[in-house]
Amino acid sequence: MGMRIENGGILTTVQDGGRFGYEQFGVSPSGPMDMRAMNMANILVGNPMNESCLEMTILGPQIRFTSSAVIALTGADMKPTINGRTVSMYRAVAVQSGDVLKLGTVQNGCRTYLAAAGGLDIPELMGSKCTMVGKGFGGYEGRKLQKDDEIGFVKHVSMLPNMQARCTYPDKYQTKEHVLRVIMGPQDDMFTEKGMNSFLGGAYKVGQEFDRMGYRLEGPVIEHKEDGNIISDGVVTGSIQVPTSGRPIVMLAERQTIGGYTKIATVITVDLPVIGQCKAGDVIRFRAVTVDEAQKLYEAYYREMEALQRKMETLSACLPPRNFTVTIGERVYQVQVEEREE
Amino acid sequence: MEEATIRYAGDRAILAEFENEISIEVNSKVRSLKFSLEQEPFPGMKELIPAYRALLIQYDPMVIRSAGVIAQVRERLENLSEVRLPKAVVTEIPVIYEQEFAEDIEEIARLENKSVEEIVRIHSQSDYFVYMLGFAPGHPYTARFENPFSFKRRETPRVRIPGGSIVVQLALSDIIPFDQPCGWKIIGKTPILACDYRKKNPFLLKAGQWIRHIPIGREEYLDIKRQAELGEYICRTYEKEG
Repeated sequence: MGMRIENGGILTTVQDGGRFGYEQFGVSPSGPMDMRAMNMANILVGNPMNESCLEMTILGPQIRFTSSAVIALTGADMKPTINGRTVSMYRAVAVQSGDVLKLGTVQNGCRTYLAAAGGLDIPELMGSKCTMVGKGFGGYEGRKLQKDDEIGFVKHVSMLPNMQARCTYPDKYQTKEHVLRVIMGPQDDMFTEKGMNSFLGGAYKVGQEFDRMGYRLEGPVIEHKEDGNIISDGVVTGSIQVPTSGRPIVMLAERQTIGGYTKIATVITVDLPVIGQCKAGDVIRFRAVTVDEAQKLYEAYYREMEALQRKMETLSACLPPRNFTVTIGERVYQVQVEEREE
Repeated sequence: MEEATIRYAGDRAILAEFENEISIEVNSKVRSLKFSLEQEPFPGMKELIPAYRALLIQYDPMVIRSAGVIAQVRERLENLSEVRLPKAVVTEIPVIYEQEFAEDIEEIARLENKSVEEIVRIHSQSDYFVYMLGFAPGHPYTARFENPFSFKRRETPRVRIPGGSIVVQLALSDIIPFDQPCGWKIIGKTPILACDYRKKNPFLLKAGQWIRHIPIGREEYLDIKRQAELGEYICRTYEKEG
């Protein structure tokens, strides 16, 4: 029971909340580029919000289900179809064995997430199922998915209570201009005033080199007082490195754990999904906020996810759907009855 | 009381920085702070990333806010001189220095104006301190404290060197766990695995310990390599004297 990949798309990988606890040994956390979309996909199908999912990039895969399942798709709109018929995103959907899910190309945004109720049956490596694509370990054999790969589900879930109500408002990725809120530092004192003004005032375009490791940005050169080198120190997801060239690189899921370039600022946690949905040509502006503001925004995000989770749990508390065969006259009807909150 | 500069590294980490130099004295402050936090973690503390002269401290902002973390770290800094670090260990790394496994060793000898034997002696008769791990999983940044080489990196980095390579410049020496691009000179090769995902703890080394390179011949190399591939080889490890 599970799914068979018929076409892997450009870059489809297994991800979960991330691999934590090994950064001091040089292992970056990896995990999803859009934590928000991944959390929502999981919640819609009743999973813990950091359960394993598929992360699909720009051009999605084609997948045949080999058992029934409940899935949800979130993130960038890949115009999904099942057996040729359009299927909604941000909604739990029941699929049958033999169904073919086809994902197309994103117009706006970059990444789409597929969660399946019960999670993916992938061995854990250092406590996580996520794939570190750049270094080739974790997830499904340490690599992106390709034709004929098969992934099972941990549990066989073919129906959840109150399927109709398992939905939420889709996030929109319509604009190609984005504001990333940042906390200045840790090495913002190594830039000139001119450099700081370039960074906070300029428009930066995502260049051709953008991947799970980081995004190189093109725009006004950020001037250092001396140069862009420091004695190497720890890097976090969202660190904005500025080497001596003055061209910023935003460090993302598969970043290094240690870096030797000046870091002018750090993208706040709730805005990491914004850059995770950017692709070449998108334009980014930076705006500085305080740590306090960023942490309040993170708390609000966390509460939002908790509320969505509670909504799903309330639904689960309803009676599971029951199937009846009803005969009226000479006709036989299959009827499903479920309790619904109105 | 130790002075450290505390800096923000986003909304879920701070950086505690000591003096701006690479030295074992400054690094011992990083290790002491890390040890103190590990012994008594504050609620909400997540991963710590030690580097040469700074410790990155990650935390969960749903449990503790930045002001709370900074207060915790300041408190530890006040008592840093009382922290007694556990005794350092030395792990022996078997290394083959034969030309076939050490592409640059003859060039190194030429640059240093010494014989290959002397180069091997210099590289294998000092303990190297592991400042930190990074770049790739299990990749140590190590240095010795006497008799540095005079050369730096190659002008053109190699696109790919094999995992197991031992690479050097100045007083620095790294073990390359996996194939990767590299601009340093290859002085030898180790048959052991610095990172073995089959093991519960995949990492051979830890920041703050020492290593010593032990010259081996071809037969020993092949024998250890076979054992390492089976996950059976255990490097000799002992407490560092002094």
